[in-house]
Amino acid sequence: MSEALPPTWRVPPWWVLLVGVLAIVCAELGGASMVRFKVELTRWARGAMLARPAVHGLVGVRDVDERILDEALVRFDAGLRLFHMHAEGMGLVIIATSMVAATVIRHAAARRAIIALLTTGGAGYPVGYLVWSALIPSHGLERAKTLAEWLIWVPFGSATIVALWCLAGTVAWSMLARRRA
Amino acid sequence: MIVSGPVRRPPLAVVLVAVSMLALGETAGAAMSQLRPQVQRYAAARIAANAPAHGFSGSAEYDDEVRDRAIFTAEAGLSFFHLHAEGVGLILFFASTLVACAVLWRCERVVLYLLLTLGGLFPLGYLAYGAAVLEVGRDAGIEVAERWILTPLGISAIAGLLGLLLSAARPRA
Repeated sequence: MSEALPPTWRVPPWWVLLVGVLAIVCAELGGASMVRFKVELTRWARGAMLARPAVHGLVGVRDVDERILDEALVRFDAGLRLFHMHAEGMGLVIIATSMVAATVIRHAAARRAIIALLTTGGAGYPVGYLVWSALIPSHGLERAKTLAEWLIWVPFGSATIVALWCLAGTVAWSMLARRRA
Repeated sequence: MIVSGPVRRPPLAVVLVAVSMLALGETAGAAMSQLRPQVQRYAAARIAANAPAHGFSGSAEYDDEVRDRAIFTAEAGLSFFHLHAEGVGLILFFASTLVACAVLWRCERVVLYLLLTLGGLFPLGYLAYGAAVLEVGRDAGIEVAERWILTPLGISAIAGLLGLLLSAARPRA
């Protein structure tokens, strides 16, 4: 910490930038696909749900079943929208925060660990929304959410949160160290 | 081909606010999902503790509706906080980097950093919005948060961004 911090940003490793840009590209493609293939996606999800009536609690009464199917389709669509939104945001978060980590964290192993957590967490988390959507037709609303939550959202989201707070702590520590020096 | 030189960075205090805002935004998102029942229970308890501020009438049907609307508004405050903290954290990061690179005069840079950093605290207004709704009632809480926190901090962000725009647009020798 005794070495002065550079007055310029340091660029993070190229693969980190690549992952950040890839997340943004996937988000854009996801957004475009949602619009272009809306009918096909809805038809596929509806067909898959009708093929598994027990999973969705379908009873064979049209009025009741349509309401259940509508709710599941709204969530299916919401998952795709949330993927689009989160992947765009997290791509930028990866780029910005890994630049901060590359500049501020002087210890090489700590820097690598924080950058790895920020990148994997940031890129993995939005995928949870795609998984959630994809699992709704085959596993039902609640089970799909639980699976996405424990397989993706909790591990990748926790990685991002831990890395961000460590980064904030390091920036605060660097400020204090500069003031003391 | 245009080759850029090193990109200057803003002061660490500005970086700290940007990173902290992103961290708070992420944490709020996790809380919204994992602690939803606890958040709703806490909100209901605060509303019950501040019953006169919420204008409860004693009629169960009416009071339930008022309570539900207040809880929904408080949860919306948390949701807006999550959304804005992620976005404003990034805006502060990139805009302050542009200030570091594009604004030549030190005094001007300091003023813009100050305005943008205050603007970077804008999302905290939504936390206050959620809390104020529970403490002083829905309409009064929204009014307090909008007038005293969201508007001044939002104006600060807009002024900082306009200042950056004017500074970047100024012809250079």
